[in-house]
Amino acid sequence: METPLWVPLLQVVVIFTYYLLLTALLIWAERRVVARMQSRLGPNRVGPFGILQTLVDGVKMFFKEDVTPGMVNKLIFNIAPIVGVVAGFLSIAVIPIGGEVTLFGETFTLVVSDLNVGVLWVLAMGSLHVYSTFLAGWASNSPYPLMGGIRSSAQMVSYEIAQGLAVASVFIYTGSLRVSDIVAAQSGSGFVEGVPGWYAIPLFPAFMVFVIGMVAEAGRPPFDLAEAEGELVGGFNTEYSGLRFGMFMLAEFMSVVTMSAIVVTLFLGGPAGPTFGAPDAVAGLIGVFWFTLKTALFIFLFILLRGALPRYRYDRLMNLGWKVLIPVALVWTLVTAGMVLLEQEQGGFGAGLRLTMASAAGVILLWLVATSRTPRDAGDRADHHEVAPAPGDPAAGGDDDVLATHGEDVPRTEEVSP
Amino acid sequence: MTGHDVVFVLVGLLTAAAAILTVTSKNLVHAALFLATTLAGIAGVFLVLAADFLALVQLVVYVGAVAVLFLFGLMLTRAPIGREALDNQNRGLAIGVSGGLFVVLSALIVDAVVGGSLGDTTVAEVTGPGIEDIGMAIFAEWVLPFEVLSMLLLAALIGAIVLARREPGDSGEEAMATRIDFGDAPPTEGTDSLSSGSLPELTSGERREGGP
Amino acid sequence: MPIDFIAIMPEIVLTVTALLVLAADLALRGDAKQLVNPLATFGTLIAIGFTVFLWGDERTTFGTMFVVDAYAVVFKLVFLVALLAILGISWRFFAEGRYFQGEYYFLLLTSFIGMVLMPSARDLLLLFVALETVSIPAFVMAGLRKRDLYSSEAALKFFIIGVLSVALMLFGMSMVYGFTGTTDLVGIAEAIRAGDADVPLLLGSVMLVIVGFGFKVSAVPFHFWAPDTYAGSPMPVAAMLAVASKAAGFAGLIAIAFVAFEPLAEVWAPVLGVIAILTMTLGNLIALQQRDLIRLLAYSSVAQAGYMLVPFGLARSGSDAIAVNDAAVQAVLFYLAAYAVMNIGAFGVAIAVNRRTGLRSIADYAGLSARSPLLALALTVFLLSLGGAPPTVGLWAKFAILEAITVDVTAFGVVLGSFVVINSVIAFFYYLKVVKTLWMDEAREGLPTLQPGFNLSAVVVVLMVGTVVLGVLPGLITDFTSITSVLATG
Repeated sequence: METPLWVPLLQVVVIFTYYLLLTALLIWAERRVVARMQSRLGPNRVGPFGILQTLVDGVKMFFKEDVTPGMVNKLIFNIAPIVGVVAGFLSIAVIPIGGEVTLFGETFTLVVSDLNVGVLWVLAMGSLHVYSTFLAGWASNSPYPLMGGIRSSAQMVSYEIAQGLAVASVFIYTGSLRVSDIVAAQSGSGFVEGVPGWYAIPLFPAFMVFVIGMVAEAGRPPFDLAEAEGELVGGFNTEYSGLRFGMFMLAEFMSVVTMSAIVVTLFLGGPAGPTFGAPDAVAGLIGVFWFTLKTALFIFLFILLRGALPRYRYDRLMNLGWKVLIPVALVWTLVTAGMVLLEQEQGGFGAGLRLTMASAAGVILLWLVATSRTPRDAGDRADHHEVAPAPGDPAAGGDDDVLATHGEDVPRTEEVSP
Repeated sequence: MTGHDVVFVLVGLLTAAAAILTVTSKNLVHAALFLATTLAGIAGVFLVLAADFLALVQLVVYVGAVAVLFLFGLMLTRAPIGREALDNQNRGLAIGVSGGLFVVLSALIVDAVVGGSLGDTTVAEVTGPGIEDIGMAIFAEWVLPFEVLSMLLLAALIGAIVLARREPGDSGEEAMATRIDFGDAPPTEGTDSLSSGSLPELTSGERREGGP
Repeated sequence: MPIDFIAIMPEIVLTVTALLVLAADLALRGDAKQLVNPLATFGTLIAIGFTVFLWGDERTTFGTMFVVDAYAVVFKLVFLVALLAILGISWRFFAEGRYFQGEYYFLLLTSFIGMVLMPSARDLLLLFVALETVSIPAFVMAGLRKRDLYSSEAALKFFIIGVLSVALMLFGMSMVYGFTGTTDLVGIAEAIRAGDADVPLLLGSVMLVIVGFGFKVSAVPFHFWAPDTYAGSPMPVAAMLAVASKAAGFAGLIAIAFVAFEPLAEVWAPVLGVIAILTMTLGNLIALQQRDLIRLLAYSSVAQAGYMLVPFGLARSGSDAIAVNDAAVQAVLFYLAAYAVMNIGAFGVAIAVNRRTGLRSIADYAGLSARSPLLALALTVFLLSLGGAPPTVGLWAKFAILEAITVDVTAFGVVLGSFVVINSVIAFFYYLKVVKTLWMDEAREGLPTLQPGFNLSAVVVVLMVGTVVLGVLPGLITDFTSITSVLATG
């Protein structure tokens, strides 16, 4: 039977509305929660508990004067925010928010499109998002936005690698890139009866890497280096105002929702959850409830992080990404592949052994994260010129990162002489 | 001509136009952006050919990483960003050579297609290769080139670090720079300091141009 | 699909050595870093051992992608021995310069992995990957002297030209694949024989692939990068580029030309023959003008590539041409082996003379006989051999080419042969000019004493002895090269 055109259209509209609503609620919730953490009230004027504040703010943004500075590259300046919002919207297209729902004699699948390479789609859209930040910074033709743009896109590109590797272990474990397969594979019980078979447990290191990476990827505190107010005024969007600034804001908050939705889908079983024996027609809607609940949990985590943690220093951020997360994710991808191969060839390890190994790996990861501060890095050395290494030491100045050498390109000898 | 063909032609035209703009645009950042558009267009071509895995990999790798690194390169190396005369005098020659090559090759291709020497060109339903097929091809059939490529990429990585890295320190007694002295030119100060073994180093300003 | 690990053992050993070198570089500090050189040498010796072990075997693995036969083994031995010699002449150069030793040896070994793969590759894709593995580390190695603008120029020119040539070659390869539906070299030959061969597009693609290799071997219309790159690179790298990288290009060209495109030999053979004539003539004429020894060697190596292209001009298609083609391949192989010996030697002497000073005009070599008779003698032997004088291996190398012409005499073959002879005479002129400077002219004042070091001296002496011994007993090489036939698989 041919599905009528309005069915997929309605699906698309419903899902995008769902995400927009979630985003609006996030903005409100964040202001309330952070206010609570700081002993303030937060928005409380418009609607019950100020819940309509976001709407009002949106209207304000819309009608504010939209200033375009004189020296900007107009075309790119205008395109940049649109790229961000579009990429943000598109990346949720493959995430199912619930099961199948049968209404009015038609079957609705609560996902925009279940591509057979869905996971890659998410990564691809994430990489397009980089352009928004980067181009905004460049087109503004102003130093702080440029710095902010470079910083944040460097950050995104770096963490994308770790995230991609974490996702790789998910689809190696599943054997499919299709998101619905990944969700289906997590729907049953795990090693222990009664505990859901979510990938967060067998793939714990990948899960941790992904969670840390997603905070950085969304550019949220404590990794919001792009808009470090004390250093960069407002980061890449300093020159933006009005509606276009609103778009950047929307894109940023949307990426929080998207990232939470993705982590829930990949590692926490997506819409899976007990259906309490509901009829099949509405069981899909109960999935929406579970999905929303899990996503809200991660959104709450994002908000708590913002309220609790101070901002990272840039070089530490890069060290965390390149020297901790990527190696961990890489090793874990190999381990996963090895385990899957073992499973296929010889039936794999026993459940208890696997659980032990997984927890051991998690402990090692935590230990690595905890000790990642010990190596003295470029920033520290710059503060201690008196302990400059001896001339001729080939290791000297070797591991300065590229950004740190930028602008201090002096011959070594000058640096050594007191 | 089916809708498929129309889309294919449109995507192809977009890609080609972006490619031309990549080499003709005077602004380096614009050129890099057009390059990104070209690469995205190629992803579109893959998509039209139903190779969606390749298309997304193309997006992730080329648009998301390679082109972004191009932009980083432009920003971090203080390359002239913006409208500056980077062209040398060979523009006409370059257009001539590439245009000539284009005309010859496209004439050959048209000849081969129209002349029917491609054999029986059956119109088949477009189905992309499955992900499993790609995986098996890479990791079973072509595993040797794949492994060699990994060695190659490691070498490229190490090489890039070597070129980008600052000098590790003293350079021993080896001559710092090539000196071409044919004996008939008036002696420079380098010849005097020859016996002491220390030769004038290039200034730090020139040193910066260490790597491509 | 089982993999024949014995067949790829030399490659595996080189890979492991390269990774060990990288790890050792990380672990060692300061002066101890130079110990990566003996490590690399040790690995190379093991790889040579495995290659010798493969001698006489016929092995095929990875489908038909990777073939080990006599031809491949001889080529691999040439590469590995060249690697050994280059490691020898590199030690002091890089230890004194103290730049990036671990990385240099790693890149060098990686580059040689590509080379060793090349004669075994029977697949366009593997051939391409091997060629890139040769080139990309070489781009970096050419630019290792970062403080030297000449070195940066060398790397940049090499890189841009190399990438351009690869682009052309890949385009041609993709067309060939489109036409024949296979990347297997033997399969391509069969497909071409089965279809009508004279499709213009296919011929154009063949030309593009050949042009790509033309860049690699620095044949004349595509030789612009060679002199600047050789002159600017660190000298051991220049030796590697002039010898090993060029030999790798020839290995690839032989596989492409004599296996895959053998049915089209009537088309490409005259083209390569004309390129050969242009290459030797132009290379020699420009070399006449040089006053910088490295540039002279660079142009002379362009000219030598011309000699080596001559046998390609003799190739013909069809089953009755196997004798001609075999003789041509053997001549190239013999010439390459001889060329490797004498050219690495010449670069070794150049390194010994000007490592400390960076001086390298021919005038600086005046009176070398007084400063170091051994080096002067060695350089004389190498230059005479490059020129093709008796009793050196160079004479026999040229003789092998002329012999290949006589297998089946054609008018074009006679033209090629006469150009080889004329060019040898021209070449003698500038080689002898250098020799005269070495022995007759007075040394300039104030030049530092020469300290070539043990390894470098050993390599130079061994190569010098080799040049002469092989000149007296050419059978030592020809016995091996004469039984090699790349066409055995086709």
